[in-house]
Parts: sequence; structure tokens; C-alpha cells
Amino acid sequence: MAFTILDGGSFVSDGTAKKIPLPSSADYFKTWNITQMPLAPVTPVVINGEWFGSKFGSGQTAANDGLRTKKSANTSVINIDTFATTTASDGFTYVTTSPVVEAQAANAITAITAASPAVVSQTNTYANGDILRIYNTTGMLQIAGMPFQISTVSGSAYTLIGLRAAGFAFAATAGNTRRISKFNAVDPEVVYVTEVTKATSAVVRFSVDPTAYYVVGMKMRFSIPASYGMVELNGLTGVITALSAANYTATIDIDSSAFTTFAFPASASSPTAALFATAAPAGAYTSYNPVTLVQTGYDFNKQPFHTGQFTPYMLLPGGAQSPAGAASDVINWMCYKLEV
Amino acid sequence: MALGITNINNMAPELPLQFSEDLLSTPMFNLIHSFGCDLHYAESHIGKTTRMSRYERLSTDGGQLDGSGIDPAPEVVVRSDIDATMEIYAKTVVINEQVTLYENDKVLTKFTALLGQWLREKEDLLMRDLYSSSVSYLNATGGVNGDQPSEISRNDVNNIERILLGNDARTMLQSVDAMNKFNTSPTRDAFIALASTDITPDLQNVTGVILKAAYPSQEGLRPEEYCSISRFRFFVSSKAAKIPGASMLGATVYTIPMYGLEAAAKIDQNSYSAILGYRPPYVVSSVAQNSQLYAKFAIARAITNQNWISGLNVTARL
Repeated sequence: MAFTILDGGSFVSDGTAKKIPLPSSADYFKTWNITQMPLAPVTPVVINGEWFGSKFGSGQTAANDGLRTKKSANTSVINIDTFATTTASDGFTYVTTSPVVEAQAANAITAITAASPAVVSQTNTYANGDILRIYNTTGMLQIAGMPFQISTVSGSAYTLIGLRAAGFAFAATAGNTRRISKFNAVDPEVVYVTEVTKATSAVVRFSVDPTAYYVVGMKMRFSIPASYGMVELNGLTGVITALSAANYTATIDIDSSAFTTFAFPASASSPTAALFATAAPAGAYTSYNPVTLVQTGYDFNKQPFHTGQFTPYMLLPGGAQSPAGAASDVINWMCYKLEV
Repeated sequence: MALGITNINNMAPELPLQFSEDLLSTPMFNLIHSFGCDLHYAESHIGKTTRMSRYERLSTDGGQLDGSGIDPAPEVVVRSDIDATMEIYAKTVVINEQVTLYENDKVLTKFTALLGQWLREKEDLLMRDLYSSSVSYLNATGGVNGDQPSEISRNDVNNIERILLGNDARTMLQSVDAMNKFNTSPTRDAFIALASTDITPDLQNVTGVILKAAYPSQEGLRPEEYCSISRFRFFVSSKAAKIPGASMLGATVYTIPMYGLEAAAKIDQNSYSAILGYRPPYVVSSVAQNSQLYAKFAIARAITNQNWISGLNVTARL
């Protein structure tokens, strides 16, 4: 069967997962870790990864798997096995549809602190900026089902900047997570509200970094169920006047000074409480200052409704024993399609 | 019995099979995500982003003249701009000449029909994704399955009606008037709700549901329609939006967009809304053995008024 090379390229790994958008459906995908190829590594590394699509029938690659060519520690001896075999590491995941759950298995957490910001204890291979859906959160059911962006990730814990849980009655003692796509099928997308200040210009905190989807000048319409207290904000549309990637917040031109305090419902009442508080994109209020020549409220990459997550793509997990390599590794990749 | 009978054991038919004159149906899912949205058109040669603008209404506060001669303070008019980016999608089929030479069926004609079906199905899924990604949904809580969200209930549906009416949304479907027929009930003018076929058992179980067969008249009803609950008429599709593992307990969550007039828009690109084409063998193949059919279309989509669309997240119970 003849092959066509669909696309190819190279990137410098930052140690995290990499998405490679593909111009067409793929049948074969290969990566080379150019940096590690000539070295005798201190710890084992994967220097080649190979993925086979559905046209290979019983020989096709399962999700999060593929062939890996490894060098053992302190030697250039080559071993070949699959990502799923002993000393398993994350392999290739080919994603064709969105919204996307990237074949990540459910992962158990052991605790979420009732602190601001909340800290999750969990053995994990996540990376800074990943978005997780958290559910089954015993003791903290009011957040069960919400997506959260994570930061300060270690192999045993990470921080939820978007969750100020100091006011919660209890910490969570168990739960599960599943990594989801950073972008929905269409953007700008709905974001989950976790905190709203009472101020002349309300500051709204979200469970994820809003700067990935919104810019100053865009409008948001708020949906705040009565179980969150601040019902006065429900149904109002505000213009974003400032955004913070560090705090996951947006400042809006709504005076919330006299509003009821915003608070999550208690965990015990959450199975029947109205959830969740959200904000949806409601267009933009573009302004132009003829003196400073500054136009506010427009970004062609964010404001117009557009496809959020291009599909198909190949997800390459990061790490020394995964296709996207460790930080600073140069990774070459090529994608092929069978002619028939 | 006489021996030496000529039968199909010793004289089989010359041809072991024959081709039935009628092709079997190609499966097609219900297309429910486009017919409730507004259709706009984008001119060619002036960029790929379309802007739809709405002037917001003026405040009704104050306004009485006190006789002093002082004019009321002027109000600055607010305009909301909703933008959408045009995107192009395409599908192609390459056919070897031996297929058209040997096949009994008119494959090029059939393949063209398949590409036409792909156009409609892809457009439907793109609109579904818009509703799934960019609308605020409320979790259903009136059910009894113990999950958050719960299965759909009458109270949850009524709550969405209250939200839409409170935001001055206009219904989209006309009422079906009462008639003197047993076991039928009239339906009011209604908003539209789009749901997955996975939850039809739960829909049947909602208090006050009127199944489609119980409408007083079936005239003009779409085959995709399933039932009427409160102020909503439900249309179902096997491809309606669902999010795996998103409930409190990790179950699949089904999103049900519920909306009225002018809540969402689909924008066609003039001169590029739906193109079906054929490339002959001498163009596709150096030895003129392969021909090619293709379909492509351009689409932009947007939620044009968040006040006139809401919806429910639900899980399944039955």
C-alpha cells in the first residue's frame, strides 16, 4: 500500500503534552527524540514512538499506547516494547471528535483542602495548565462535575487557583479526576464562576484562566442559580474591563456592592441544589479612543465564534518516556496516510 | 420417483446472485440543530468574519419632564456586536474506474448522494457543538436518580420556561389547537428543546408530557419531534450533545439547549454554501483510472442572544 506523507514538523518539548493538528485523518504517526538519540541517558528515555491507525485492523494502536523504542539507563542499548507494557508510560492518543475527553482514565484523588486556593492531593502525571473535571468529591460535592485548571503541579499534588475553598465547611476526602480538552468544540465558551466580589466593579473568579477565551471589551452573561446567593447577578450582562491570568479573574462593569454575597451551596445540599454558576459569551462592546488611538474589545483570535479545538489531532504526552519527550528535547514528527 | 430429474443441484443458476433493484437505506441521524436558528448570509470578497449587531433597548427609568425646561439627560445607545468566523469543511471520495466499470449500481450517483448527506450531517453537528460549548446550562435537580444533575423533571423544564419568559424570549412554534379527538391534548405556542435519544424513556416519564401522537393534529410536524413538555417541544437525535463522565457521580451528562426566536445564527457564505464537484480521471490520475467526487461548504455560527437561550444538563435514569 502506498503512503502519503501528510505533514511533518519539529518542536522543542517543554515536558508537557503536545497537540499536533492534522490536515486529514491519519494512518501512521512517528516521532523521533533528536536530542536523546545520540546520548547514553542517565535514566531510560524513549527515542522513537510509532502509532498505527484503524486501517491496520488488529494491528492498530489502542488509545494512549503505541510502540516505543527505548534506551536503558547509562547505555545506548535499544529495547522495543509498547507504552502500555511494564513501566508503562503515556503513549499516543488520536482524537477525531470534540468535545474531547482525551482517553484519560479516571484518577483517584485523596484530598482537596478547604483553603484558598484549594490544593488537591493526588498521584498524577498532569502538567501545569491542564484542565481536569473533578467528580465524586466526598465532602465537597458542590464542585463535583466542574472543570478546573491546575497549577504548581507535582507528582503528588497541584493547586486550583480558581477555587477559593476557605469558606467551605469541609475538605474533600476522596474523589476522581479526568483530564479534558483545554478548548471546547466552539469558542468563546462558557466558563464556571467560583467567586464574585461585592464591589462597584465586580471581580469574578473562574475555575479556569479566562484569558484563553476572553479579552477586555467582550461581554458576559451570567447565570447564577439561587443556591449561590448572588441572585441579583443572574441574567445580567457585563462588559469585561480587566482580566487576570494569574488569578483567573475578570473585572466587569457591574456594580455588585449591594448584591447578596456569592457563596457555593453546602456539600450536603449539593445533590439537589441548583448548579452551576456560569458565564456565557454575549458579544462585545467595542470602543475606540480617538485621542490615544486605542481600540478596545477586539481580538480576532478570541471574540468571533469559531472552532475551539481543531480535529483531528494527535496528542503526544510529555515526559522522558513519552512521545513528546522531556523539557528541552527536540522532537521531530511525521504523519502518514495510506493511499487505500 | 423418477430418476434423472434436472434440478438446481445438477444445474445451478448461471449467476449465483442477482442485484435487487432497490438499494437499502443509508442510515442518517435526525438533523435537529439547524432548523431553529436564524440564517444569515456573508458576502464574498469582504473578509471571513461576519458581524451581527443588536441595539440594546433604552432605559425606561424616569423620563418625566418637570416643567423646568431642563432637558432630560441623553442616554448613550449601546450596541452589542456578535461576530462569527467563517470556516470551510470538505469531504472527498476517489473512485477507481474498475468500480464504475464492474459495479451494477450507478456508484457515482450514489456517492454524490452520500456526499450530499454528509453536507447536512456535518452542518448539523457543527451547530450542535455551538450549543454545547457556548450556552449556560442549569443542572436538573427535580429527578430522583440521586445524581447531580438528575434526570429531567417537570420542575426543571418549568424553570427554563421562567428564565426565557423573564428575558422576553419569543416562542418559535405555533400552538396546536384542541380538537374533538380522544386522547389528544393541545400544545401551546412553544420554545424548542433538543435532546438525545438516550433520554427518551425519561422524557416519557415527565409529568404532563404530551407525546407527539397525542397532539390534536399531525399536520406539519417534523419526524424528529418527540413530545411536548410544558412550553417546550422536544426534538431528538442520536447525535445530540452528551459529555461523558461529567456528572457528580461521573455519569454521562446530556445537554438540552432550549431556546426561542433569534437565539442562534447560522451564516452561509455566498457562493460557497454547498458545493458538490467532480474531477474526471484525466485530471486525478496520470493514467486516467481514478476520478474524484467532493463536497465542501462554508459555515459560521454564533449564539446571537444569550438571554433567549438556556437549557438543562441532565443524566439518564430509565
